[in-house]
Amino acid sequence: MKQLFPRGQVMGFAFSLILTLVALSVIVFDLSLKMAMIILLVTAFMQAALQLVMFMHAGESEDKASIYTNVYYGLFVALVTIFGTMLTMIWGYQ
Amino acid sequence: MKIDNSLPLEYSTEENRLKIFGFWIFLGAEIALFATLFATYFVLVNGTGNGPTGEHLFKVPTLMLQTIFLLTSSFTIGLGINAMRLGSKKAMLSFFVITLILGLGFLGVEIYEFVEYVHEGATIQTSAFLSSLFTLLGTHGAHVTLGLFWGTFIILQVKKRGLIPETANKAFIFSLYWHFLDVVWIFIFSFVYLKGMM
Repeated sequence: MKQLFPRGQVMGFAFSLILTLVALSVIVFDLSLKMAMIILLVTAFMQAALQLVMFMHAGESEDKASIYTNVYYGLFVALVTIFGTMLTMIWGYQ
Repeated sequence: MKIDNSLPLEYSTEENRLKIFGFWIFLGAEIALFATLFATYFVLVNGTGNGPTGEHLFKVPTLMLQTIFLLTSSFTIGLGINAMRLGSKKAMLSFFVITLILGLGFLGVEIYEFVEYVHEGATIQTSAFLSSLFTLLGTHGAHVTLGLFWGTFIILQVKKRGLIPETANKAFIFSLYWHFLDVVWIFIFSFVYLKGMM
């Protein structure tokens, strides 16, 4: 029975619940937008990293380097898409 | 077919290993897909016109319920893969069934939420904000729906054919997909709902 609930994964789940509660604090407390965005960015990316490494076993096969390169590339495309769009559609005019 | 018994079942042949890598590439494309939807949403978020704003629409209880459902389902499918590696078909299938029930719970709450929105006069045609919101949430919800069918078929196959390299590989790839949906939800939770409610 104990084997079915490996310590690492249980801790990972507990940690993801804690991160969710920390993220929730931005609507509970009266924070500045900048502070709140920093908290949300940190908690969201920590959660994502947790899933990737702990649950998706991204680093355990011989394809580790290729898998991480691919994820970083996807992330790069995502960030360029989002911030590039913000720049051309909104920030560029302010 | 060369089977390497020192590796977990889902990695045990070269074909299986490459299928897993191929799926990671697909997930890379999915990251790009959701990035375009997030970008659209961030640009249009203030275009509420005469319709309701996010602050008016978003509610904490349904949001937390969806988040807990999806986070927990991501945990249970992780346990399912762990059980699969221990060779326990029964435990694995139980965890997969729990995962799908939690996924169904998530989808139920999301559909309930959409119905509530429409009752409050917030349809996909009401404003630019709502068009982009429904497109983003709907694309994620459609992925979860597809996952429910996919997961059901995985369970049936493992039940029928047992834990062999082929079925273990399919189950592992499905788990990657499911975790990915949780990752996307975390970003929706943070930058759509929480930011919208601030």
